[in-house]
Amino acid sequence: MSTADGDLLHTVDADNISDDRRRLGRLLHWGAVALMAGLFLVQALYESGTISFGFETWRPVLAGYILWAIALCISRVMIYGEQGKKSLFVLPAALFVISMVVFPLVFALWISFSDWNLASLTGRKFNGLDNVRQMASDPFYWNALYNMVLYTLVILVEYAIAFGLALLLNAEIRGRKFWRVTFLLPLMLSPVAVSWMIGKSMLEIRFGPISRFVRWLGWENPSFFSSPELAKFMVMAMDAWTFIPFMMIMILAGLQAMPKEVLEAAEVDGATPWQRFWEVTFPLMLPVSITAVMIRIIFKLKLADIIINVTSGGPGGATDSVTSFIFREYRDRSNVGYGTLLAIVYLIIIVIFMTILLKLSDRIVRRVTGAG
Amino acid sequence: MAQVTTDDYDRRQRMRWWSMRVVLYGLLIIWAIICLFPIFWTLTTSFKVARNVMQGDILPWIEFTPKWLGWRSLGLSPDTIANISTVREEFLKRFFNSAVISVSASALAVMLGSLAAYGLSRFSYRFGFMRNSDISFFFLSQLILPPVVLALPFLVLYKELALLDTRIGMIAIYTLMVLPIVIWIMRDQFASVPVELEEAALVDGLSVWGAFMRIVMPLVLPGMVAAFILALVLCWNEYFFAALLTATDAKTLPVMIASQTGSQGINWWSMAALSAAGILPLVFIGVLLEKHIIKGMTAGAVK
Amino acid sequence: MKVHIHENLMGKQASRRDVLRGTAVAALGATTALAGLPKSAKAQDNVRAAILQIPGVGKGSPTDADWQKVGEMCLAATKANVKEGEFAGVELTFMGLNNQNLHNFLFRGFLKPWEAYTGAKINWIDLAQADYNARLQQAIATGTVDFDIAEMGAPFEGDVCGKGLASEMPDWVKKQIDMDDYVDYLKAPVGTWEGKTYRISIDGDCHNYNYRTDYYDNADFAKAWKEAGNDSEWAPPKTWQEVQAHTKFLKGKKDPLTGLSAHGYLDPLKGWGGFGFYFLGSRATAYAKHPDDPAFLFDPDTMKPRVNNEAWVRAIQDVLDVIDAQPADQINADPGTTGFQQFLAGTGSGLSWWGDIGSNAKTSDTSVVGDVTGFSILPGSDDVWNHKECKWETLASGPNYAPNMAYIGWGVYVMKTVESDDKKKRAAWSAAAHLGGKDLSLWCSAYPSGFQPYRQSHFNIAEWVGAGYDKAFIEDYLGSEADSYNHPNAAIEPRIPGIFQYYSVAEDELAKIYAGQYGSAQEGADAIAAAWEKITDQIGRESQIALYKASLGL
Repeated sequence: MSTADGDLLHTVDADNISDDRRRLGRLLHWGAVALMAGLFLVQALYESGTISFGFETWRPVLAGYILWAIALCISRVMIYGEQGKKSLFVLPAALFVISMVVFPLVFALWISFSDWNLASLTGRKFNGLDNVRQMASDPFYWNALYNMVLYTLVILVEYAIAFGLALLLNAEIRGRKFWRVTFLLPLMLSPVAVSWMIGKSMLEIRFGPISRFVRWLGWENPSFFSSPELAKFMVMAMDAWTFIPFMMIMILAGLQAMPKEVLEAAEVDGATPWQRFWEVTFPLMLPVSITAVMIRIIFKLKLADIIINVTSGGPGGATDSVTSFIFREYRDRSNVGYGTLLAIVYLIIIVIFMTILLKLSDRIVRRVTGAG
Repeated sequence: MAQVTTDDYDRRQRMRWWSMRVVLYGLLIIWAIICLFPIFWTLTTSFKVARNVMQGDILPWIEFTPKWLGWRSLGLSPDTIANISTVREEFLKRFFNSAVISVSASALAVMLGSLAAYGLSRFSYRFGFMRNSDISFFFLSQLILPPVVLALPFLVLYKELALLDTRIGMIAIYTLMVLPIVIWIMRDQFASVPVELEEAALVDGLSVWGAFMRIVMPLVLPGMVAAFILALVLCWNEYFFAALLTATDAKTLPVMIASQTGSQGINWWSMAALSAAGILPLVFIGVLLEKHIIKGMTAGAVK
Repeated sequence: MKVHIHENLMGKQASRRDVLRGTAVAALGATTALAGLPKSAKAQDNVRAAILQIPGVGKGSPTDADWQKVGEMCLAATKANVKEGEFAGVELTFMGLNNQNLHNFLFRGFLKPWEAYTGAKINWIDLAQADYNARLQQAIATGTVDFDIAEMGAPFEGDVCGKGLASEMPDWVKKQIDMDDYVDYLKAPVGTWEGKTYRISIDGDCHNYNYRTDYYDNADFAKAWKEAGNDSEWAPPKTWQEVQAHTKFLKGKKDPLTGLSAHGYLDPLKGWGGFGFYFLGSRATAYAKHPDDPAFLFDPDTMKPRVNNEAWVRAIQDVLDVIDAQPADQINADPGTTGFQQFLAGTGSGLSWWGDIGSNAKTSDTSVVGDVTGFSILPGSDDVWNHKECKWETLASGPNYAPNMAYIGWGVYVMKTVESDDKKKRAAWSAAAHLGGKDLSLWCSAYPSGFQPYRQSHFNIAEWVGAGYDKAFIEDYLGSEADSYNHPNAAIEPRIPGIFQYYSVAEDELAKIYAGQYGSAQEGADAIAAAWEKITDQIGRESQIALYKASLGL
């Protein structure tokens, strides 16, 4: 990795790097590479039974990787000087992520094209595109994908509520600290605890307080998870409950940082409150809103804990999210090959979706802020 | 005549002001109830006995007499706290593990993430075909990875590396999990710090790293606190990988909460006591550090 | 002495009431005869009586302190085989369920005194019931068996013993736990694999029928029943046909105990990590398990599923027929909710459940139905499906009964991991034997533990009465258990690899059927059968056929 022209922060590279230092740096780097490769080779041969000496686990190879990572960082500085120091900002995180992600992803890809039921005595069998074919004709996977679209669309409602709450908190109110802390609390709770204490206990149809409340409102026999629409709504509501504070806090932070003069100027110009909001506040809040919504979408795409614990996807798959669906395929039926393929396909879909969304939102932000 | 209309106007204004107040506080109170009631319910349920649960009693001391039943099953009630309790040992061990793992992972993520975010916001990198925006997206895309994709590969990888059921293994995977969100928040943070500050520092003879440590870091500290807390919340509550990769030494609290159910139904009071014990530390942190969270996010909010 | 009297009576296939009257009398006789017995026997009886007083029936759920006390008092058998401090320095890992206040929670308490005495240390892996199968399969498939002792159900023997992962039981253990005391259906071949013994039973599972006696003592109901034009008596149902009729009848009535809506038979409509399928099984076995045919799930020769034959479809249709008579939101109620949040809390007139709901009814904090619960074996059916000849048959002997031996109970298994170290092996087996001990198990079957009676010595009414149980209640309860265990036409589930995958996929499909996503019960059942065929092919048809035949004793 090297830094290129176009740095935001320009530095003057005044260092004089001798050829010896460069050579030493390269030596260090390639030495570490050799060590790591050597360790890997020895261990691989040992595991495959070709040679009789080796380590009990792959841990030494991990140590080799870490050593190499350190050597890489040092050699960057030795070879490139100031420029190399700049790359030290990104290198540790990048090396860490690569080490943690690359192997699992490759392995996942490998098993996703195989017929692997954990209970099978014969183990993994390569089966080409069979899993893809099975996926194409699996209506409940598509159903789960469709549910995800609905779940994602609901974020707009969540966003509206979060914005409203942020405006409330930003208004002239007493005890602001109390309200803020209170509104923030649901974010802190674990989805597992939420599933149990809200999903199961408070919505219990006989003695749950919410059931008693709706009974008091006149619904004789409340049941929250029996019709597909209502069950979906309840899952959405519980998930929204924990995550609205997240968006709220980001928007509130934005509101508080907004320059007061702009609004005052608008008021002097005789704008109605609605105009002031729509033409001044909202566009100013757009960048932060988009960040908040994006992060929220990403979290929403992983929605699973609540569904697994409360409905198990029921009734009849109506509340299934993709993750909870795969989770069942994977955990309850140990159908690892097919489950992993579904997950990989899902990953590809959302990477494409998120890329488009990010590009799109970038453009919107640029247009609105450019125009405003 | 004119006097009267002004009075009228004033009164109407006042009326409007008051009705606005009523609506405002009404909304605040309604939402506060929505936020607080489940927590209140959890806490009170942990002091109920079966009959109170069945009758759906809500108010302690008025509708039901609080009992220590739920907490006794955890060995945390006044009459059992002095005795040896295997359940309490288990609970404390998990609590400790949860704390160690989530704090270390969050700290590590904030450290790695801040560095990366700073680099990405100040310098242009080229790594093969990848430019800054691609590298950013590479980091952020880790956030998108559904955990199920990685489940079995991680099991195999960790087995080979002898990292299964170790705290280090859990810290690594949680760091990976929260790193993207930290980078996302910190990138906005650094973007809001004017480059001129660092340029001045460079002119004064500080190195790039020196400028980062001495000038930029203090400015974005609130943001780092906010990112840290968010990471902490996510790590503390994580269930999926904990259930998959831990067994005895590194097991955490959410797994204990989730596994409270089985063929014998649920003792709501114990469940509630456990849930309460699990969420209280974060509630406490939320109350204590709420100011920093908002301040931290403010800096990066408006460019 | 009580044991052989009981055995004798059982051997004669005496009716339940006779057995119980007999044992009660025998027990009385035994008390007077005690004076002449050797001291040790008396001491043991004292232990049994004493542990049953902890904490005492009706005194609420036992707590950690109680479990430790019971564990301490039952150490005698361990002390006879192991010297104090013999296992110092040994560390064992125990994998089991983490059900609230049960299973591992209990084992911890029970084994605490054992650890103190032997010097060994135990680490715990706690799993939720729904995670159990997945965790086990992953451990096996990825070679990460990181536990030395496992609490495991017989259905998993195919996965574990079949792959040679378990350690064979040493003879001294067999003696310590007195295996001859097991009820007959738990004796070999259950617990064995290819002739070797692996399992220490700590539980014996079957579904029986739990019903509310106050529904059937209720004069208003009886009157309304007659007025509705029914000829039969208003009495606890004996067949599924009656269950269906009662359930439809009770719709819209008021519950005599709670005053809320009355409901009839409760069907759990939501899955439960595979365990939910047992509940359809309980409805289906009377239709599907023909006395002349040992199989009811698959064809033993081809592994072709029978789940879409007329018998199973009829059971599914039965569920569909009474869905609107179920409590609201039943579609989201898994078996756990149905049993413990509903039945024990006073909703519903009956349900199928493992025996532990009986001991819970009296001793759990959650129960309000302790005084009004009755038990019998699962209802039968007037006609039974003859799969070979493809027709419904009415048996000359009357309704066909086929109790569902669901899950065959939990057992403790020691893994191969201990074999390399003799001391460790002895320690692991000693710990397992302590949990499977004769006296300890009596306590487990009497108090909320997750386990039900599984030894002949558990069927001694006098001991239960001495613990504070109501005599009529306990006769009824133990009688229904004994009848199920000893039933000649019991439906014993196959111990084949991956059995929970079959259940799990069936559960998912059933949820869709119940939610009305298939055109008919038959269509849904066909979907289950198709999914089962796929699993069989994945795991390997030939080996499945061989193992299935072996587990049926063919």
